[in-house]
Amino acid sequence: MVGYAFISPIVIALAIFLVWPVCESFYYSFTDYNPLRQQEYKGTFNAQEMLQEYLMIFDMKNLHKDELLTRFHPVDFLQTQLGLHLTKRQKAVIQRYFNSEKLIDDFVNLRLNRIMSVAYFMKTYMIKDSHMFTYYKPSWLGWKNFKIMIRDPYFWISLKNSILFSLIVTPIQTFLALLLAIAANQKIRGVKFFKTTFFIPSITSSAAISMVFMMLYSKPGLINRILHYFGMPAVDWLNNVSTALPAVMLMNIWTTAGYFMVVFLAGLQGIPKSLIEAAEIDGAQGWTRLWKIIMPLLKPQIAYVVTLGLIGTLQVFDQIYFLIKNQENYTTSMYIYTNAFNYGRMGYASAIAVAFFVIILFFTLIQRRVVREESYF
Amino acid sequence: MVKRWHTVTVIAYVILLIYAVVSLGPFIWAFLVSVTPLTYFSHGKHLGVDIMQWPPNINPFTIPPKVFGAPATLYNYLKVFQVVPFARWIINTVIYAGIVTIGNLILDAFAGYAFAKIRFPGRELIFSILLATLMIPGQITIIPVYNLMVKYSLVNTYYGLFLPKLTSVTGLFLMRQFYMSVPNEIEEAAKIDGAGIFRRFVQIASPMARPAFATLAIYTFLGTWNDFMWPLIITSDKSMFTLTMGLNFFKTSYYTFWQLMMSASILMTVPMLVIFLSFQREFVETGVTSAVKG
Repeated sequence: MVGYAFISPIVIALAIFLVWPVCESFYYSFTDYNPLRQQEYKGTFNAQEMLQEYLMIFDMKNLHKDELLTRFHPVDFLQTQLGLHLTKRQKAVIQRYFNSEKLIDDFVNLRLNRIMSVAYFMKTYMIKDSHMFTYYKPSWLGWKNFKIMIRDPYFWISLKNSILFSLIVTPIQTFLALLLAIAANQKIRGVKFFKTTFFIPSITSSAAISMVFMMLYSKPGLINRILHYFGMPAVDWLNNVSTALPAVMLMNIWTTAGYFMVVFLAGLQGIPKSLIEAAEIDGAQGWTRLWKIIMPLLKPQIAYVVTLGLIGTLQVFDQIYFLIKNQENYTTSMYIYTNAFNYGRMGYASAIAVAFFVIILFFTLIQRRVVREESYF
Repeated sequence: MVKRWHTVTVIAYVILLIYAVVSLGPFIWAFLVSVTPLTYFSHGKHLGVDIMQWPPNINPFTIPPKVFGAPATLYNYLKVFQVVPFARWIINTVIYAGIVTIGNLILDAFAGYAFAKIRFPGRELIFSILLATLMIPGQITIIPVYNLMVKYSLVNTYYGLFLPKLTSVTGLFLMRQFYMSVPNEIEEAAKIDGAGIFRRFVQIASPMARPAFATLAIYTFLGTWNDFMWPLIITSDKSMFTLTMGLNFFKTSYYTFWQLMMSASILMTVPMLVIFLSFQREFVETGVTSAVKG
């Protein structure tokens, strides 16, 4: 079928990069997944050098196999010399099936002076069960990650920050955008200039914007200078735990309000003139006209802006990454990132991501229901 | 009545003008800083520049113009290319944004056309599943996708950068909407003339959807150019950085080179500004498709 052929690239791509990863995240969240350990079995080394180091031999002459065998402990060697992290089961298997004699024999006969991978090494010297050492399999932890999460104060702080961020920024940016759109919809000259000007922050990368605001918010920065000019004390906006998040919120509002204003303005201009005139004839004045006629007609745009605002703010990451220094001010996506990529705790990070996913889904569904119900009147 | 309207108009102007200043102010300040020298020579002494002074001491009528009391210079823009591999980062970003845009144009168009014009079993079901994936937040997929890239040794490669971004459901949705607006009669006529489905897609429907292609291209290019999270995760080697990754480089633990940082920020913003100003219609008129901050 041609249809299937046409859609197959996007379906395959989404399956690989979106749907399957979600399943994997759910799996990771029940494990102690650690990205560094994934590399352990792929790591390569020179077996002779490693053994020489381990057995403290500097000269490869006059070696006694039996004496070496008493000094060689495979589990210890793998852990200290090759840096493997072994589970209890793996240790037991090694105790039983590691062929130390063959290894020492090869060592004494100088057959080991080459580079090999850990997986290859284990395959050669394990009599049985070498498959346990070919790829990293995280151990199953059950609900442990989630239990840790519930008792982790920083998780709750980050969640609180994310939700606060969303609940404060979304209404303000929506209201500001609406106000600007209504202002621009009066009989005003230069509407195009204002539209263009207001739109520019939203096409600028959050990286560049963060840099500019980092400068403006800094202790000797412009904002403090202006405050000083009016006789107010200087504040270290971004390093102060109580002001850092509001400062980033303000910046976020600044970036998006202009874009949403354009959306609202398009909606306002789509309202038929005759409708407004009819209302005017009926005696509906300024505010009444705004609340009873214009606002209900703007419902679709408001729903769109609020939805987009909520989704965007709940997941805010870039600006937090650049501007937030204190862990007390992290949002959930930042906390997930730090756990996964700075601390290497991907299992735990996945557990938070899964919880966050469920929360976002919950919000989205509630919000959809509200919007749908509202659109009836 | 007339007077009342007058007040409303005045208030509207005041609001709009204030917000125009708020909106442009940070950019103007960034530009001023970017043309300020790090230090300058005057009265036999090297002097530092206070780039945050308020009110600012600016005089555009001297030669060279004065910013913050110092002679303006474009040297910082040159310096950016000397102290960091900025040219390399521009190339990386162009490759990243370019390939992602091309991928989206082709793949989203194919799928969009299929969902709009071709009938096949399960079409509506598949489409609604695809739409549902829009609700998946990026945080939950990023760890497994990163691990996938590690597994196939694609970290710090262009493939690793662009592969996960080649299609998007938003783009698919946009293309489908436009193909749906292409009248069926035209397609039917072409069908009678013996045009196969591929030909109808390429030669008849797609040229009519040109505005959709333009919109998709602009939004995708812009979104990818400004993307930060994925490059942050998939690149660790300086030579593979994109521009958004590079900006942080001017901040060391001891000192922040604001002048260079602002020059770099402006250099990476200007191309987007040019695109925006030349395709304003696509941005502002079809404003209801957002990949801007996606």
